[in-house]
Amino acid sequence: MIAGMGDDARPLHQMDEMNTMKTEHTPSVAARHAPKAKRFSIRTRNLRAGLWMITPTAILVIIFTFYPYFYAIYGSLQTLSPLLPTKFVGLLNYKLVAESSYFITAATNTFTFTIIVVPLVVLIGLAVASLLNQKFFGDVALRGILLLPWAIPTAISGVIWKGMFANSWGAVNVALYSLGIIERYVPWLTTTGLAMGAIAVAHVWTQFPMATVLLLAAIQSIPDEIYESAAIDGASTWQRFRFITLPNIRGMLVVVTLYSLLIALTAYDITYGLTGGGPGTSTTLISYFTWAETFRMLNYGRGAALAVMVALTSLVLILLLLRAMPRDALLEE
Amino acid sequence: MTTRFSRILTYLGAILLLIFITAPIMWLIIAGIIPEEAVLRFPPDWFGLGMTTDNYNYIITGEIPRSHLVSGQMRTMISQEVRLVPQAIRNSLLVASAVMIINLIAGSLAAYAFARLKFPGRRPIFFTITLSRLIPPVALAVPYYIIVKNAGLVDSHFALIAIYSVLTLPFTIIILTLYFRGVPKEIEEAAEMDGCGPFQVLWRVTIPLALPSLIGTGLFAFMLSYSEFLFALLITTSMKTRTLPVTLTGVSWNPDVTWSLLSSSIVLGLIPTFLLVFPVWRYMVRGLATGAFR
Repeated sequence: MIAGMGDDARPLHQMDEMNTMKTEHTPSVAARHAPKAKRFSIRTRNLRAGLWMITPTAILVIIFTFYPYFYAIYGSLQTLSPLLPTKFVGLLNYKLVAESSYFITAATNTFTFTIIVVPLVVLIGLAVASLLNQKFFGDVALRGILLLPWAIPTAISGVIWKGMFANSWGAVNVALYSLGIIERYVPWLTTTGLAMGAIAVAHVWTQFPMATVLLLAAIQSIPDEIYESAAIDGASTWQRFRFITLPNIRGMLVVVTLYSLLIALTAYDITYGLTGGGPGTSTTLISYFTWAETFRMLNYGRGAALAVMVALTSLVLILLLLRAMPRDALLEE
Repeated sequence: MTTRFSRILTYLGAILLLIFITAPIMWLIIAGIIPEEAVLRFPPDWFGLGMTTDNYNYIITGEIPRSHLVSGQMRTMISQEVRLVPQAIRNSLLVASAVMIINLIAGSLAAYAFARLKFPGRRPIFFTITLSRLIPPVALAVPYYIIVKNAGLVDSHFALIAIYSVLTLPFTIIILTLYFRGVPKEIEEAAEMDGCGPFQVLWRVTIPLALPSLIGTGLFAFMLSYSEFLFALLITTSMKTRTLPVTLTGVSWNPDVTWSLLSSSIVLGLIPTFLLVFPVWRYMVRGLATGAFR
């Protein structure tokens, strides 16, 4: 692939030299007499410069994006493992993945996890954004502090929350015990349902700041006059929120929801540090399963099949996300 | 009446929010400066045994904490792995800096081309590059690993830097394209009149004018690379190359490590990102959040 690119680059380069010669000629002739020709020379110059400017990025993207996609699809159709000879097997990997009970558990867990965390992230994000939209003592400081969970690497957040939920010395147990709410420590991380709750709390903690920031930006872009006239008309706080704020940030709400969905469906780092997928398989999510299938079981083919399935699911979400985004925000002239 | 009630509600909400956000961070800080026995005490009594800098001391200098020397029957083992944390921080800083530099060079070139120059395929190329990033990394993990393995680059920073560059560049390009288009066109055209080519315009006019956002965007790529976990876990297999998130999660599963030592190493590892989050916020995210979706 890279060799092929090199071959292509040569004629381009030659063309480039020819163009350089041309541009050396044209300005002297064109400067006085033919503005059209000058515009033309600038255009070809821009064309070449544009292509050169995107070349470094394009090379990286081709090697590390298109080639891997191609390879994942190709690999998912093979028996691909350091332990076995490579063999074309068609859709067998997909069938084996879909039928394995471990996959069904992981898919169910991911579904449960997503159903719990996405509404929490969006609603907490909305509540906090409305809160921070008001003026109160310490509001600026609180906005700064809001960024801290976002700045912590997610895998490390998992470890931090393990320190919070630890069975015999975690801060959550210590706090609840000291306040007299529980009489003996709760084994958060080794009880099936509670462990799922723990990863959900940790995930929400890492994700709600971004949701808040985006929603706050949307709320703040609503013109003040609308609120003022509504206040004159006697609208209550709730009515103003319901009939002015909500309709105006609907687009951003959709974006935040879909984004949270995408993040939740592919969450990985948080479980690795916090529960390691346990107890048993009760917090094993699809991404963790993909990793385990590939690198613990050394079954690259099945891992690739899983990867393709995850990618296709996210692709659907991404397309929805794009439809929700303002269309011409990026490249219009 | 209602206003006073809503005031109280606002402050109540603010306090709850403050507790939720800071509790885990406070616990890290507290656990790092109290001896290990104090963490494990039941009934809980964190501050009964005084405070200590032994944990930080051990991570940095290797001097074994007093609590480990005294309480022989309780804990004779001490995890040497936490001593790898400073090395891991260095590795992460190295990788993240390299990614940032690549992002700034390749990113500003491509962004300028997309923002200002006309060339065939501009739109499709832009969307292909930027949308390629939206596929979740975990879907790419397996093929990335195989490619890196076939190239003989497992356990090298080089592979990691290349992967992170690809993962961060699309985002860098989107943001820089937005910012570069905000630079007044007249100034660039004036430079063109004076005979500057596109590269010179970019270097002499656009970059100086967009410098703050450029720095913010570069630091953002830095933070993402500093934080990345999945690919680092797959690719860095030895202590020499491991980055911070991999080392810390690895250490956390070691039964010999104590929470005091672990939390103090986490605090050390978080210093760079906590220092960077505010400039990133100031120069990039705020502009993005308020500008792009308006």
